[in-house]
Amino acid sequence: MRTFLAVAVLSGGVAHATMGPAVRIADVAPDIPLIVVVMLALRRGPEFGCGAGFLAGLLQDAATGGLLGVQALTKSVIGFGVGALAGRLRVSQPLVQVPGLVVLSLVEGVARFALLQLFHFPAPFGELMTYVVLPQAIYNGFLGAALVLALSWAESARERAS
Amino acid sequence: MRIRALALLGILAGVCLLLLTLQMRGHASGASDALAIFTTPVQTVVSRVNRTAFGLWSTYQDWKNVRAENRRLRDEAQRLRVESLRVSEVDEENRRLRRLLQLKEALPLETISGEIIGREWGGWVRSLTVNRGRSSRVLRLTAVIGPDGLIGRIVDVRGGSSVVQVLSDPASTVGAHVVRTRTPGIIEGEARGTIRFKYMARDGAGIQVGDMVVTSGLGGLFPRGIPIGRVRGIEDRGSALFHYAQIVPAVDFARIDEVLLVTGDATRDVAAQFPGAS
Repeated sequence: MRTFLAVAVLSGGVAHATMGPAVRIADVAPDIPLIVVVMLALRRGPEFGCGAGFLAGLLQDAATGGLLGVQALTKSVIGFGVGALAGRLRVSQPLVQVPGLVVLSLVEGVARFALLQLFHFPAPFGELMTYVVLPQAIYNGFLGAALVLALSWAESARERAS
Repeated sequence: MRIRALALLGILAGVCLLLLTLQMRGHASGASDALAIFTTPVQTVVSRVNRTAFGLWSTYQDWKNVRAENRRLRDEAQRLRVESLRVSEVDEENRRLRRLLQLKEALPLETISGEIIGREWGGWVRSLTVNRGRSSRVLRLTAVIGPDGLIGRIVDVRGGSSVVQVLSDPASTVGAHVVRTRTPGIIEGEARGTIRFKYMARDGAGIQVGDMVVTSGLGGLFPRGIPIGRVRGIEDRGSALFHYAQIVPAVDFARIDEVLLVTGDATRDVAAQFPGAS
């Protein structure tokens, strides 16, 4: 379980670092670790989602040279929340996945902004939401839905093969 | 299970808040250093993977761009080459037609222009097919000329076309004379595709290489003074009655595309209209 967690989080980090710039659209890059955390939390529950969120966020904080703990906290909360609600959510439909991920990304963005306000973060909320958080949230929604679909297709193919 | 998850969340949130508090109070370096022990190796790996992946991606993109650019440039070069050929072909045709028109206007003869639509170059027969026939009132034995000189005569007239026997046809004979010495003789075609000037030995003592040979006009078939060619060499046959001079034709029969057919009176002297005939 720990190995899987480490591999999953590290894979998310590597994907974010390598693929992020490549899949950028109009200077908007997706938050791949957040998508990975959400997917892990949906499948493995709140405990796993929380741990994955913490590790992924911490890795991102350390990698970006920002304040340590901001993304670790927001992502662990997101991971926990998604994991806790996983049983009640019907996430097999793209119509749910895309808006779901958009909302989660927005929540994460707002939470991060709120935390950063403690450190007198200078960017205005409206501008940040319009140009950074919202575009990234939309991108996350579509990319995450595509990944979920690809994963479920791979699983069904594996089941058919076995 | 739920309590354990909540506890984990609490612990992790606590760690995060502790980290943030430490950083707020200026102890950021300690927390960062502690974390760097774990994150630096991971970052190194991520960075290497990133660099490798990006290097590969960028190489692939470059390769793709170069390939696309290469294809585009090749297509463009091909298009320009074709365009250039077309332009030069049109230009060349224009030049030829202009020369032919100039000749047609300058000649004191009734002529019609024609286009070569076929060539027979087998050796047994050397002929051209021109797109003028009975419908254009072309008659058999009509003289066919080009801007550079004599080409031959019509030997077969059809509805919309005629066959021209060129001077190099083995069966072709045309009355001619050397311009400088006035030596009369006959231009004969040879099976190898060349032409020669046959003259009586007693008249040809003064013929030299480079002399111009033109139509004599005798017989009324060809107008007088149309260039045929220049003497390339002389075959001295000793005491034979006839001697021969090898002639370089004034017209390149294999490359001529447009011709004039002399349809009216062919008894005029036209040497003045051919600058090379003197």
